[in-house]
Amino acid sequence: MIHDSIIRDRLVTGDKTAADVTRDIARPILNKPSSAWKIGFSLSIVFLGIFVASLFYTLWTGIGVWNINKSVMWGWDITNFVFWVGIGHAGTLISAVLLLFRQKWRMSINRSAEAMTIFAVICAAMFPVFHMGRVWVGYWALPLPNAFGSLWVNFNSPLLWDVFAISTYFSVSLLFWYIGLIPDIATIRDKVKGKTEKAIYGFFSMGWTGSTRTWARYELVSLILAGLSTPLVLSVHTIVSTDFATSVIPGWHTTIFPPYFVAGAIFSGFGMVATLLVVARKVMNYENYITIGHLDAMTKIIMVTGSIVGIAYLTEFFIAWYSGVEYEQYAFTNRMFGPYWWAYWSMMTCNLIAPQVFWFRWARTTPWFIFIMSIVVNVGMWFERFVIIVTSLHRDYLPSSWVMYAGSLTEIGLFLGTFGIFFTCFFLFAKFLPVINMAEVKSILRNRE
Amino acid sequence: MGILDKNLSLRNRNKMLIGVWEDEDSLVAATSELVHNGIKIHDVYTPYPVHGLDRIIGVRRSKLARIAFFCAITGLTLVTTMIWYMYVHDWPMNIGNKPVRFTPSWAPIMFEGTVLCTAFGMAFFFFWRNRLVHGIKNELLDDRQTDDRSIIAVELSENMDQNSILETMKKHSPVELREFHNGIQTTL
Repeated sequence: MIHDSIIRDRLVTGDKTAADVTRDIARPILNKPSSAWKIGFSLSIVFLGIFVASLFYTLWTGIGVWNINKSVMWGWDITNFVFWVGIGHAGTLISAVLLLFRQKWRMSINRSAEAMTIFAVICAAMFPVFHMGRVWVGYWALPLPNAFGSLWVNFNSPLLWDVFAISTYFSVSLLFWYIGLIPDIATIRDKVKGKTEKAIYGFFSMGWTGSTRTWARYELVSLILAGLSTPLVLSVHTIVSTDFATSVIPGWHTTIFPPYFVAGAIFSGFGMVATLLVVARKVMNYENYITIGHLDAMTKIIMVTGSIVGIAYLTEFFIAWYSGVEYEQYAFTNRMFGPYWWAYWSMMTCNLIAPQVFWFRWARTTPWFIFIMSIVVNVGMWFERFVIIVTSLHRDYLPSSWVMYAGSLTEIGLFLGTFGIFFTCFFLFAKFLPVINMAEVKSILRNRE
Repeated sequence: MGILDKNLSLRNRNKMLIGVWEDEDSLVAATSELVHNGIKIHDVYTPYPVHGLDRIIGVRRSKLARIAFFCAITGLTLVTTMIWYMYVHDWPMNIGNKPVRFTPSWAPIMFEGTVLCTAFGMAFFFFWRNRLVHGIKNELLDDRQTDDRSIIAVELSENMDQNSILETMKKHSPVELREFHNGIQTTL
């Protein structure tokens, strides 16, 4: 019985069978790496090298090689942290929320979105960890007894909430990703020929057989994990926003930050998923699995969340004016017309204006255009964090301490280097694990949505 | 009843009849008819989740949701106790002369701790119940049962008529029928 709908397109095109799905999706794993993979992986390694060199220089010389100073004590580092953590938040949110809403089109994108989450959170963690300066006493951020060197941690501080939130988020996302991978790892285990590969995939597949009893419980555990992950994501990006919102800095001290940051995270996350998948579907021949319909759905979400973020920008301005607080009013005028006007207008152009192009069907269904737009979205989201952090800090209450700030070469190197970490991990993932959830895709071969 | 589902192991089983299918609808129809005829199905192995199959073969509703709730309560209690011990009991911290007692600022960490314990506690019980252990020997009836083939396994007991089971299976056009005994499979 084929469950056909006359209004919706098929989720998987090309009349694929279950065997086709395994063959197509496992091809990169079972075959030798393609030239495209080798080129991409080598480039990522170059960027990873830039990260290692910049980090070594930072650790060897000291945190002074970054240009952060009074009064801009957070610069590129925390901008990059929020940028990556935002991307990281979207992956699990995409996967979990779409699962809860029974959106079957998620099945082709959830695996890579979850992988993206994990790699992005690793990249994000680099910045606050090394910003500590004395990174070897980083464990003081954990609740350890006073005898270990510091006092008990301060449970009123959003920075400590961040430690708990991000480590919980990383662990739960990793678990969610891994549980989702088990059936597919078992499929690969039963396909690979080499003894070592069989042993490795066998180890990670945990003896999976595809028993109906296990599937029933597996689906329940996935659903509960999705139910847990959804408020978790909202809480984590809310907590990241409270790093700023609980301060008394004009431009940061706003109650709109939590929903605004969450919308921004979904926006930038979908931007990054689109960047990765538009390329992956072409290079790995996954056009029948990640269809134009998938891109269309993703771009609609980009447009909506971009508009939510845009409304948040405008609301901030309105509230700054309406509050009658001259420091707030100045902070926002300074953002728009001050020395960092270019960053502000880049943000507005990329995040609010550019995504409106997705009102047009052509823009939502043209892969090369979506790829360019996804980069624009991510550039815009980086500028958003730069604007929030730098424009609020460089001119504080005391005009004599006003400064200008630009990232040093080392800071730029570290940022570019995190792309090396991210893409190295992603290329390894694409080579050794299925980028698309094979088991779930097999279950929707005959469905339309 | 222990936590581990002993039905998942194929060791020390009586002779089993194995039917292999590639089509989901025929598999479901065969399973339903076998159950309707009063045959107890040991298990059905599928490469992807086939909804409703668990109810047909009589898999009981999982208690994982209750376990998750229990883990959540445990996590919440542990984290709240930890914060209270560190922040109120052991070393009260004077921050801006604010009172050292339960405040809403504890909520984020209480929430995160609850989620962490729930997720990992539930996953632990899920692995345990389903015999999912790193490095365990795979007990597969067919190399393609994780790829594109589905399998019905019926464990024979004294009062079962092997021929009638095979006849029912054949009606639903299986790809193959086999017998499994002492780890050895024979094509029928």
